[in-house]
Amino acid sequence: MAKAFSSELSSVLSGGADTIVARATAAGAGALAVIRISGPETGRVAEALCPEIDMGTPWRARVVRLHDSGGRSIEDAIAIPYRAPQSYTGEDMLELMVHGSPWIVETLVETVVSAGGRHATPGEFTQRAVSNGKMDLIQAEAVHEVIQAETLWQARMAREQLHGGLSREILAMKEKMVHFLAEIEGSLDFEEQGAVTDRDSLELTWKSCLEEIDGLLQTVAAGVRVREGARVVIIGAPNSGKSTLFNTLLSRERAIVTALPGTTRDVLEAGLEIEGLPVVLVDTAGLREATDPAEAEGIRRAGHEVGRADVILDLFSADEGKPSFDPRVDDQRVAVVSKVDLFGGTVEGALGISCVTGEGLELLRDEIHRRIAAPLGSMTGNVAVNARHGKALERAREHLVGVLGLPGEVAALEIRSALKCVDEIIGTVEDQEVLDEIFSAFCVGK
Amino acid sequence: MRFSQHFVSGNNGVLMGVWDVVVVGAGHAGIEAAMAAARMGSSVCVVTLSRDTIGQMPCNPAAGGIGKGHLIMELDALGGVQGWAVDRSGIQFRRLNASRGPAVWGPRAQCDKERYSQLMRRLLRGTHGVNVVEGEASEVLVDGGRVVGVRLAKGDDIRAACVILTTGTFLGGVLHTGDDRRDGGRFGEAPSVGLGANLREMGLQLRRFKTGTPPRLHRDSLDYSKLEVQEGDVRPQAFSWRSGAVRNQAVCWVGRTPEAVREIIEENLDRSPLFGGQIDGVGPRYCPSIEDKVVRFPHHKEHTVFLEPETLNGPSMYINGLSTSLPADIQERVVRAVPGFENASFLRYGYAVEYDVVAPKQVGHDLQVSTVPGLYLAGQIMGTSGYEEAGALGFVAGVNAASSLKGGAGLRLGREQAYIGVLVDDLVNREHREPYRMFTSRAEHRLSLGVDSASERLMAEGVRLGLVPTKVFHVEQSRWERRREASLALESGAVVPNRSNKERLRKDLGIDLRTPTTWAGLLRRQDIDTQAAAAMAPALSGLPESEQSIIIGRLRYSGYIERHARERTRVERLRHVKIPADFSYEMVSGLSREVLEEMERVRPQTLAEAERLAGVTPAAMALIAGRLSAPARE
Repeated sequence: MAKAFSSELSSVLSGGADTIVARATAAGAGALAVIRISGPETGRVAEALCPEIDMGTPWRARVVRLHDSGGRSIEDAIAIPYRAPQSYTGEDMLELMVHGSPWIVETLVETVVSAGGRHATPGEFTQRAVSNGKMDLIQAEAVHEVIQAETLWQARMAREQLHGGLSREILAMKEKMVHFLAEIEGSLDFEEQGAVTDRDSLELTWKSCLEEIDGLLQTVAAGVRVREGARVVIIGAPNSGKSTLFNTLLSRERAIVTALPGTTRDVLEAGLEIEGLPVVLVDTAGLREATDPAEAEGIRRAGHEVGRADVILDLFSADEGKPSFDPRVDDQRVAVVSKVDLFGGTVEGALGISCVTGEGLELLRDEIHRRIAAPLGSMTGNVAVNARHGKALERAREHLVGVLGLPGEVAALEIRSALKCVDEIIGTVEDQEVLDEIFSAFCVGK
Repeated sequence: MRFSQHFVSGNNGVLMGVWDVVVVGAGHAGIEAAMAAARMGSSVCVVTLSRDTIGQMPCNPAAGGIGKGHLIMELDALGGVQGWAVDRSGIQFRRLNASRGPAVWGPRAQCDKERYSQLMRRLLRGTHGVNVVEGEASEVLVDGGRVVGVRLAKGDDIRAACVILTTGTFLGGVLHTGDDRRDGGRFGEAPSVGLGANLREMGLQLRRFKTGTPPRLHRDSLDYSKLEVQEGDVRPQAFSWRSGAVRNQAVCWVGRTPEAVREIIEENLDRSPLFGGQIDGVGPRYCPSIEDKVVRFPHHKEHTVFLEPETLNGPSMYINGLSTSLPADIQERVVRAVPGFENASFLRYGYAVEYDVVAPKQVGHDLQVSTVPGLYLAGQIMGTSGYEEAGALGFVAGVNAASSLKGGAGLRLGREQAYIGVLVDDLVNREHREPYRMFTSRAEHRLSLGVDSASERLMAEGVRLGLVPTKVFHVEQSRWERRREASLALESGAVVPNRSNKERLRKDLGIDLRTPTTWAGLLRRQDIDTQAAAAMAPALSGLPESEQSIIIGRLRYSGYIERHARERTRVERLRHVKIPADFSYEMVSGLSREVLEEMERVRPQTLAEAERLAGVTPAAMALIAGRLSAPARE
């Protein structure tokens, strides 16, 4: 304990960046565990763990025997050293692959701490990657999303974002805005020298900026859909077969184990994946069939679920007759008639299914997928902004929307505010860029 | 504590005794520094290479403009002298951007250079406390870590408590005209040689900049029938509160370089020191030489040039827009290809000058060198370009040097207070890869920093420093009061859509008023004839037109200024949040390496200071603020 304290103290006193260590793989026992070490003292730490680890030959995996601080050998491991800046964090790093025993992992981490490292805080490795320019804020967010991805679409989108796909889109938009600003600033500061852009050109640039923003804003819905999934709610009269349908769909699709945002305990829900998109399937059976006095509450809850739903499966059994709404005009609901094996026939505007024979289930699934995937049409590539980005973009749009009617010096102020919003997303707008743009666009100077 | 001054002058000007302040250089920065310090009670010794070159305008025979005009007006409100000298030597006055709002008005004047420098020579000679000495300062003397004076090249020492270096383009100056390369700070003047090495020895980082100047032509050899006249303003306005009325006495001309010029230059680029590689220094992109223009904008068929008289009656004409360092014979061909200049005779050829400047971040906001107390830098040596920038910096250095000796707060202006604040802050905190010149786009508070408000913002400081008489201040105060009253009256004066009003508005302004509004609301509209509306407004009647434009201009800005002020309140509240001295920026997730290093280097004491640093973005501020407010979560 005293040793750990003094090494932290010494790193504070030395004033430089600390060397951090953490278990990179999930907690608990497993076949393998990965320990990551990053920072200026990595070499020294490596020495302490095993003299055979050679920071001088980075990016090569070697089998080494690791020791604890007392010199006792603990474990044979695969060690991969990384030399700055070619590592995840941009610093010197060491990755150790060991057996996934919690004791081994803990002992090794403590050994590193005694040798001069300290425990990493959550996300600290990624934070250093951002600090060292290995990735921007958007990509850093994507790291988290890649890790959390449970469905194909989530993985695709996160990876695209990690590889800078979204950053590129935002940078392209930012460049347009900088150019717009430069046109206006140029005409203000160099009035005498013919650096005047005509109104048409300004209008074109302005339109182009707004189009970029709108294009990105349209992907918010897609982003939410992919990251948080769609809520598909089953409603219908008692005995229309809701629970049967619920279970049937669940058994046919890939279940998602962890809870998705917005789920509540009072309703029967399950997470599953349809064609790579996460779905929360909700059964309102329990709610409807409650007896007084809970029934009123149940009805209220069902109504609440319907309000939150992205898609509603309105179920009625074949002997009931017709759907309770007009399927031709309602986008959100799918009219489903169940138990067609028993009662036969088709009903106008409704999808006939039988959970017993499997009839119509494929079509139903396709229909569900079609509706939940609709927002994805707005994406180009696999890029979509998230809610944080969306809010910042909306604010940027507010600043830009009326700009053309304003006097130049006021317009410039509004565009700068819009650029600040963009900066919040990606973190990179510099004043010098505007001047650079002015001088490359205009031949000015007396 | 005052150092007294005893001075015995021998045959070769040997000086004994100790001065309060030594100013090296008598250009625009040196003059303002000397005048400010002397008028604040310091004894000042000005060292200049030659008395004859005091107050030279080496390039453009003009002062002011957009951004630069702002600096002159602010300097004037503080009690500086440049505005007065420009007014007294001004031969043509124009206000640029006159059709736009007050925030971007750029007052400008053509000056008679000889008169300007004559005025400045007389001023220095006639000011109590100022002594001018001819000589070359070759070394800054330091003792016990503090400045104690300068040594002249001929061997004499001048002892002083503070030294202000305003060496302009003379430090290690090299002049280029084509292949001709010679040491010089300006045409016909030797450079300052030892001082650069001396500064390096003191640990200062220097870098090389360049600037250029165009040829001068003989007035009588030009054909004005082929050029367009450019007149001054119908109602010329003075810069300074010290000045009475000013008038236009000269005109300028506008010409265009034809395509032939581009061809001549392209054929001969290899003979250009710029493109031939002899010049190391970086030049300003906003003041490109004609060869720069041709290379960077090859698709432009012609470039505009302005012909400006250098004095009222003398022969020398300055060609603005034809800055160059091409060889003399090419300059002749280029110039004579311009319609109107076919028979131009050259009084002087254009040239480029390379010189040393001190890299930024080595000087504090008081312009004192952080590692050498008592040593101040001002003007072009700091990497600026322009008489106005130099004057402003010289003034700041002079005031701060004097204050450091006599006690008192000195002068430190924030970015939201003045362009001078933006200037100093940019030079002290940011990297610049070219000579720094003021543009309005550098000021994030541009709407509030127009020339119309310079005295309102700064005259009180001038009075506090003892550089502006209180009498003048009181006169100005009543003017501001009248403005305020008029603005309030406009905001509260109702315009009701009754029958007679509606008729009047429709007839005179062409608008159809439906709902009641105020005069202010009416004047804010973009779709009316502002002058006609102003003529109708009772609150404005009797006010001079210049005042009316200012009041209306501010009305139109007020909504935006308020909105942006509100947006800033969130950060405002955080401004005063102190950052603990041991705050670990390392622990702030998401900060870029650049910001991190900057924070650690500067160790800002409040978030407000942090925000001013280069590279610190709103995102970074939010992250730091977040971290500061949640230490307990550890």
